[in-house]
Amino acid sequence: MDEGTAFWPWWQGGAAIGAITLLLLWLGNQRLGLSTGFENLCALVLRTPHLQRAEVAASARWRLPFLGGLVLGGALAAFASGGLAPSLAAPLLDVRLALAPAEKLAWMFAGGLLIGFGTRLSNGCTSGHGIFGLSNFERGSLEATLAFLAAGMLTTFLVYGAGSS
Amino acid sequence: MDRLLYLALGAAFGFVLLRSGASDYDTVQRMFLLQDFQLWGVIATAVAITAPGLRLLRRHGRRANGAALEITPKPRNPGNWVGGAIFGVGWSITGMCPGPIFVNLGAGKLHALAALAGALLGAALLAALYPRLAPALGLPVSKG
Repeated sequence: MDEGTAFWPWWQGGAAIGAITLLLLWLGNQRLGLSTGFENLCALVLRTPHLQRAEVAASARWRLPFLGGLVLGGALAAFASGGLAPSLAAPLLDVRLALAPAEKLAWMFAGGLLIGFGTRLSNGCTSGHGIFGLSNFERGSLEATLAFLAAGMLTTFLVYGAGSS
Repeated sequence: MDRLLYLALGAAFGFVLLRSGASDYDTVQRMFLLQDFQLWGVIATAVAITAPGLRLLRRHGRRANGAALEITPKPRNPGNWVGGAIFGVGWSITGMCPGPIFVNLGAGKLHALAALAGALLGAALLAALYPRLAPALGLPVSKG
């Protein structure tokens, strides 16, 4: 979203996320969780036993269309707020590290590597642990959520320095 | 038909994630820097709505088509927090958690493609190492 364009109020965004999570359960009997999607995608081309386990295979039926929906939703939201133009912009990062485009892609790739490895080791991400697991009072989800929020804060403080912006 | 439903729910979810600021690099950094309440409020509200909703649905015991509702808790093990900590570093570096990677792909953010490529490789690496990590971290055995 362009700078200066306002986001929805937090309570509105949160309420909509909660409503969709409950709809997904009520209509489809699926617990919200997105990071298994990395495995659903990998399992299309890799035969690694862990990727071919029953749990992953069973969820591809709903999760792959849902992930397609995420891409579509992102495109619709971008269109609705003035058009979809390819961009590499991340203003804070650009000011702080001033990376060349190739370096920035490498930075994002490295971060993605940690996201893929970490979420699958943790067996969940912000959605599966942070929203569904916490709402379901699961202790493992609380531990995962505290860990990723703490690690995220620590990393951002290291990159940007506490108190600066 | 089922697939259209999931596509539609995913599209709504993606739209909301972008409008909430969850896919915005700067907003994510300001959340972690405790400079902006937006995403803390989004997550807290989502849980505040989902938790009582889950309780009601579970008491009701049925889903929309009348079939029994099943909610399987995730297994708890040290992988939850070890993996969570690794993921948190990646979330900060990219400004994206898994959902927003796909949302930003749709919104034309080219760096989301790099993050997705990394995430797929990361998931594949974990899968390859899983048999060796599982005993050490008490992870469940993967059943084909």
